[in-house]
Amino acid sequence: MKKVIAITAALALAPTFAAAESFQEAFEMNRAMHGKNHVFEWNGNKYNTNHEEEVEAAVKATKANALDLIAKAKAKNKEAAEVGFEWKLTGGIIKDAEKAVEAGEYRKALDLAAQAKYHSRMGIQQHAYAQKHWHLSVPQ
Amino acid sequence: MKIIKKLALGLGVAAAAQMAQAADSGFDLKTVDPEADRIALQNYFKSRFPQAEVSDYVNGIYAVDADSREQWEELEEFPPYEFAVEEGEVLFNTPFANGKGYADCFENGGVGIRQNYPYWSKEEGTVKTLEMEINECREANGEKPLKWAKGDIAKISAYMAWTSRDKEINIEIPADDPRAKAAYLDGKKFFYAKRGQLNLSCANCHVQGSNIRIRADLPSPQLGHTSHFPVFRSKWGELGTLHRRYKGCHKDSRSKPLSHQVEVYRNLEYFQSYMNNGLVINGPGARK
Repeated sequence: MKKVIAITAALALAPTFAAAESFQEAFEMNRAMHGKNHVFEWNGNKYNTNHEEEVEAAVKATKANALDLIAKAKAKNKEAAEVGFEWKLTGGIIKDAEKAVEAGEYRKALDLAAQAKYHSRMGIQQHAYAQKHWHLSVPQ
Repeated sequence: MKIIKKLALGLGVAAAAQMAQAADSGFDLKTVDPEADRIALQNYFKSRFPQAEVSDYVNGIYAVDADSREQWEELEEFPPYEFAVEEGEVLFNTPFANGKGYADCFENGGVGIRQNYPYWSKEEGTVKTLEMEINECREANGEKPLKWAKGDIAKISAYMAWTSRDKEINIEIPADDPRAKAAYLDGKKFFYAKRGQLNLSCANCHVQGSNIRIRADLPSPQLGHTSHFPVFRSKWGELGTLHRRYKGCHKDSRSKPLSHQVEVYRNLEYFQSYMNNGLVINGPGARK
């Protein structure tokens, strides 16, 4: 009896141990646990928990840089809309970023543009996930 | 010991077979089977809410939550959509400037036909909804199309639904046109795909989450959706079309909603209405 339980437990837990933690998993876990600007180690190398958009926003707060990031956010949001996965608030965040530029608040504009671009990237990622996994919600 | 081993092996094989079936059945054009989907959905709700009659699902959450039903039955004593149906009848029977009317555009003079909508049009290669054809009728007779969400279009649609009450929903997916099944599959996929900042699918609330509180609301079961549209919602204080509700739901997941009557919403309506085959039209309805 004990043998059976041990074998069953080993079989059930095997995939958990066998699957190595991917970079994505490690990044997401560390981001969730520590927020941005945290350094973590993965496969012997050190990485930080900043999203790529936060890295893009970490430039000198100038009008040109803000407008550049807003343009990138708009382009990414267009991609999300084209696959039908645009998020509700993204357009408004981009408008707020544009208003911040007009007001000369370039740091605020950069941060808002980064947020909008992140939303758009997540929408696109969500679409890709849905293409592969939508059937998991179907009752069998 | 041998018995336990055999039992464990048996369960493992059964689970694996079920998982394999779930993984490759009904999710592409080759394997999708609308009738199997309809039966599976009914069985799901029979098992979730064994006390509810399948035929009662046209009443939404009121089929499965007794307290909500009590309030709704009181509301139905003086139905809030009654005046709108009367206005819809007047609008329906008012001739266009060219002397023709809505009755000239629809089968059976537009009376008792709601149960056949939406349908697949082979000629146009698309799903046609009742509201779409109301506006096409107007345009064909030199009138301006109505706005989609509410107002006159909802009233005319409500009157047409009223004349179809108790008729069995009968959505067909023509076997000789694979595009029809593709449209159904597209609607099914939309229903089950997670979207928006809240990462919610329609199914998260209306299948797995039905009758489970979201703040103060109880989401209705998917089975029976569409039968009572257009609907008078207390929240709106007026009648609204099904696509108005789709946009609202879509927005609730923090997605940017799509336009009324866009192809994927019509496909969603096609899928959802097919799920209701055999139930009856009870529109217009009243909801919170």
